[in-house]
Amino acid sequence: MTTQPHENTLEIRQLNATLPNGMRLLRDVSLTLEPGEVRALVGESGAGKSMIGRAVLGILPSAVVHSSGDILLEGQSLNAMRPKTRRSIVAKMSALIPQDPLTALNPVRKIGPQITDPLVRIHRWSRDRALKRALELLERVHIRNPERVMNSYPHELSGGMRQRILIAAAFAPSPRLIVADEPTTALDVTVQKQILKLIRELQRETGTAVLFVTHDMGVVAKISQKVTVLFAGRVLEDAPTEAIFNDAAHLYTRGLIAATPTPNATAEPFRPVPQDLIAQLQRDTQAEDVRFYQGGRK
Amino acid sequence: MVDATMPLRRRRFRVRNLRFWIPLTWIMMLVLAALCAPLIAPHDPLAQDLFLERLPPFFMDGAEPGYWLGTDSLGRDVLSRMIYGARIALFVSVIAAVSTGIFGSTLGLLAGYYGGWWDRVISRLVDIWMAFPPVLFAVLLVAVMGTGLTSVIAAIALIDWTRFARVIRAETMVQAHMDYVDSARIGGARRFTTLVSEILPNVMPSIIALLMLEMGIAVIVEAILSFVNLSISSDDPTWGSMIAEGRGAIHFAWWVLLFPLITLFLTVLSFSTLGEGIKKKFDPVLSS
Repeated sequence: MTTQPHENTLEIRQLNATLPNGMRLLRDVSLTLEPGEVRALVGESGAGKSMIGRAVLGILPSAVVHSSGDILLEGQSLNAMRPKTRRSIVAKMSALIPQDPLTALNPVRKIGPQITDPLVRIHRWSRDRALKRALELLERVHIRNPERVMNSYPHELSGGMRQRILIAAAFAPSPRLIVADEPTTALDVTVQKQILKLIRELQRETGTAVLFVTHDMGVVAKISQKVTVLFAGRVLEDAPTEAIFNDAAHLYTRGLIAATPTPNATAEPFRPVPQDLIAQLQRDTQAEDVRFYQGGRK
Repeated sequence: MVDATMPLRRRRFRVRNLRFWIPLTWIMMLVLAALCAPLIAPHDPLAQDLFLERLPPFFMDGAEPGYWLGTDSLGRDVLSRMIYGARIALFVSVIAAVSTGIFGSTLGLLAGYYGGWWDRVISRLVDIWMAFPPVLFAVLLVAVMGTGLTSVIAAIALIDWTRFARVIRAETMVQAHMDYVDSARIGGARRFTTLVSEILPNVMPSIIALLMLEMGIAVIVEAILSFVNLSISSDDPTWGSMIAEGRGAIHFAWWVLLFPLITLFLTVLSFSTLGEGIKKKFDPVLSS
C-alpha cells in the first residue's frame, strides 16, 4: 500500500481531542505540512492552536483524552507506535520553540547543557560535536559572546536573548519539523521583529518545516506560505497565505484580517470580528457536537 | 547617585551575611564540641560526686574552680554533660533529618510530578498522618519499638516526613508546569530522568532549607523524648534529660535547667536561620 513516496513532513488526519467532561478541544482537524513549508495556525484564544502543536509533540495535558485521529511524521503513523518509540521518533524529527522564554529554560542549569543535552541524548552526537554546533547556532542567532552565554544561567540573560537561545536550540539538530508556539507573544514589539526574521532565515537555511502558532495576522503575512484558520477546535479555512489575504473564503477569516490593528488608527478604526458571526459559528459548533455524540463515531 | 546607593547596598549585604555567619559559627562550635568532647570536657560527664552536688556556676558565690557551669544534684559537671549532650543531639538531628528528608522528598516529588494515583495515595496518607498528634505519636512509637537512639530517629522520620512531602509536592507541581519540563520531554528525556535532572535541582534549595529546619526539630523531639525518659538511658547526658532533671531542682539549682535550655534554643534557632541562608546561596536566582 505504501509504495508511493511520502512527501509530507507532517500530516494530521481527523484529529480529535476531548476533555473528560466531554468538551471538545479539537474537532476533526486535518492538515498537512510539506518539507520546508511554514504553515500558520491562527485563531482566537482557546481555538485549539497550541493543542495541535502539543498533540504533534506528544505533550498534551494529561487530562486530554485522545479520541480519534492520527498524526504522521514523514509518513510514519504515530498512533501505530509504542509510546517509547513514538517519543524517540518525535524527539529525533521535531523541536519546539516555546511561547514563554522566561520559563522554557531550566533556571538552575547552565545554558550550554540545556542546548547540547538533546543533541547528545537523542541524536547520539559526541559532546564536542554538540558543543561546536551549539556555539555555531548561538553565533548564528547573533549572540555576541557564545562561550560566555553557554556558561551562564538563564536569569543572567534578557528575554530576547533567551528566545534567541531557544531558537538556536530548536534548530541545532536541523529537525524536519519545528512547532513554534507563539514564539513572539511574550516579547516586546521591537524584539518580535528580529525574532521573526531569525526564524524565517534559519528555516530557509535548514529547510525545516514550521508549524507556526499565532493569533497575529501581521505575523502570518510575514512568515507563512499556508494558513489554517481555526475556530473552537475546528478548521474553518485552509489556504495559501496570499489567497487568505486577498480573497478569504470564510467570513470569519475576513473578520480576523479586518480586526488586525493598523498603525494608522485614526484613518481606519479598529474593527473586531462581528459578534453575530461568532454567535453563528458557536451555534454551528454546538450542532456539530450534537451530531458527533449522536452519531456514535467515538 | 552612586554615593547615595552604595552604603545602603553594603549594609544590607552585611546584615544578610551576619544572619548566615552567626548561626553557622554556633553550629560549627557545637560540631567541634561534639567531635572533641573527650578533649574539651573538663570532667567525666557521668562521674558523680555527692560532695560537690549543686555547685553554682563560676560567676556566683560558692563556685568551685573547674566546674564552670556548676554541677547537678548528683554532683555531675553541667558543662561536661552539655558537651557530651551535643554529640547525641547532633547525631540524632543529622541522621533523623536526612532520613526524613529523603523519605518525604521522594514521596513529594513522585506525588507532585506523576500526579494521578501517586498523588491521590500520597496526599491522603499525608492527611491521615497529620491528623495524629505528633508528640503522642512519637511517644507511642518509641514505646512500641523500645527506647534508644534508633527508635528516636525512626520516630522522627516516621512522623515528620509529611512536612517534606507536602512542601516538595507543591514545589514540584509548580515546576512540572514550567515550559522547560516540556522542552526536556520533547528533547527525548524520559519522565524519570526529567524528574531527577530537571525538576529536582529546582526544588533542591527548598529541600535543603527544610532539612535545616528538620534538624532543629529533631533536636527538640529528641529533647522531648529524653525529657519523658523515652530516649536513651537517663544516665547518658542529653539536653532533654538535663532539662528534666533540672526541672525538679529549679528553685535552688536553676543552672542545671537553664544552660541546656539556652543551648537547645540557640541550636534550633541557628538551624532554621541557617536553612534560609543556605537556600539563598544554593539558588542561582536568589544568590545573584
